[in-house]
Amino acid sequence: MRSPSSLKQEFLKTWLKGLQVYTSTKKKMSILERKKAIKLSADIAMASTRISTSSWSRALVAKACNASNSILVEHVLGHEAHVLKKSPKNWMMAMSNKRIRSKKILRKSCTTTRKMRKKVAHVVDEASLIAKRLIMKRTKVLKSLVPGGEYMDEISLIKETLDYILSLRIQVDVMRHLANATEKMDHGKGYN
Amino acid sequence: MERIEAIGARSVGCGMVGDEFNRQIGEEIHRLMSVQPESGSSFIALLELPPNQAMELLVHSPEVAVVDNANLTLSGEQFGQCPPLPPALPPIFPSDTALVDRASKFSPIANSDEVLTSKLETVKQEPLDSDSNPNSNSSPAVSNPAVDQNPKSAKRKDREKKGKESNKKSKKPANETSEDGGEKLPYVHVRARRGQATDSHSLAERARREKINARMKLLQELVPGCNKISGTAMVLDEIINHVQALQRQVEFLSMRLATVNPRVDFNFDTLLAAESGSPVESNFHGMITPSMWPEVQLHGNKQQYEQLWHLDGLHQPVWVREEDNSNFITPENSLLTYDSSANSAPLHSNQLKMEL
Repeated sequence: MRSPSSLKQEFLKTWLKGLQVYTSTKKKMSILERKKAIKLSADIAMASTRISTSSWSRALVAKACNASNSILVEHVLGHEAHVLKKSPKNWMMAMSNKRIRSKKILRKSCTTTRKMRKKVAHVVDEASLIAKRLIMKRTKVLKSLVPGGEYMDEISLIKETLDYILSLRIQVDVMRHLANATEKMDHGKGYN
Repeated sequence: MERIEAIGARSVGCGMVGDEFNRQIGEEIHRLMSVQPESGSSFIALLELPPNQAMELLVHSPEVAVVDNANLTLSGEQFGQCPPLPPALPPIFPSDTALVDRASKFSPIANSDEVLTSKLETVKQEPLDSDSNPNSNSSPAVSNPAVDQNPKSAKRKDREKKGKESNKKSKKPANETSEDGGEKLPYVHVRARRGQATDSHSLAERARREKINARMKLLQELVPGCNKISGTAMVLDEIINHVQALQRQVEFLSMRLATVNPRVDFNFDTLLAAESGSPVESNFHGMITPSMWPEVQLHGNKQQYEQLWHLDGLHQPVWVREEDNSNFITPENSLLTYDSSANSAPLHSNQLKMEL
């Protein structure tokens, strides 16, 4: 990973590119529409800076492609877009295949271990079962939060969460600075 | 790995002898244990050194080699039936490097290294070290009480372990030095303790769990206020909260940006023109900066903004005109028109860069 400041600059650049698409296509927008556009372009720009290393970004871009924002995606990603245009689906396919396969394996291993577990059943106490259930519930929530998380196993989920948190922090930082800057400028103009 | 298992099996084979012999072995084991701390401390001392230096020390330093040889000859005599191992221990190292290489491929931590950021790497060193130390030291502590409690069965396992350990002894330092370089060998990390299953499935499962734990530690370091909490569920809770908070913040900020100024996007566009760096813009940039920026640096933030909005006020009509134009022109044309107003753009970009 590069230094955060260079990441921030790259993010800003791509984000502005995305915003330009909106300003050049639609002129009249309501506040909600504008907010959605700003958020989407920021998300995609953030994803585009990490697209080579992380799968959450690919999932995010794939989702944006599906939501009929492909113009924006293409514009933001530029030369990477045509490479990615196939890859999201491939990636999804691969992940789902993996999931099915791992499910099969899981079922098999469950059937083999069930016999053993009957013997050890009394040893396994209630507490650990409850703890396991709690963790399962939280993992599910986390999977729903991280883009593309439904297709990940636990190890890669944690890895992607790490990456995602770092990127989100950068995104928030840049956006806050920009908002502050524009607000102050506006404030000054209001007095004038 | 295979060799160690083979030797372990051999020691099991020679374990089918009388109780008297077992007792002797127990005493020997105790003696070995008393030797262990000293050599263990030397291992820990080695951990402080950079890997290549430690390796040199291991190969050349006489005391470590002597300790290893002593351990080996002791166990060789004790086991009697077992053919004594070749006393030439240092030559094991070359084969070890191959093993280290191979193991580093399978090492659970080695995979995670490529993903981790430079910032995280410093964090990661801590959990690794704290992991490896108890692991290397815990085995004597576990096996010692076992001798007292359950002489027969425990002893056999113990001896099995002893056989492993005495053969591994010369390898262990090499492994730990390689850990220092960020790699981890699976059988140091995933080694089966007493009473744990040793088939490949449970070993893999254990490796997976270790991997998850290491990453959870990383996440704990990353999320503020999380490193004091114990328990995976609580930590996950905190992580979920953090991610949700960040996502909400993004929502909020985009809302704020949307409401702040209907002209916001327009500002961004001029900024972009500045970033792309057209010749016109650079000319303007050279003209404006000498007059502008020295003053800005002298004055405080408020003055800076005042000057900025003065300029903005000057350029406002230009922008409005452009907005009217861009209603009729295609995006390609609009880029050109933005460039024409680029004299205000460098200011914005500079300001933003200062903010960042």
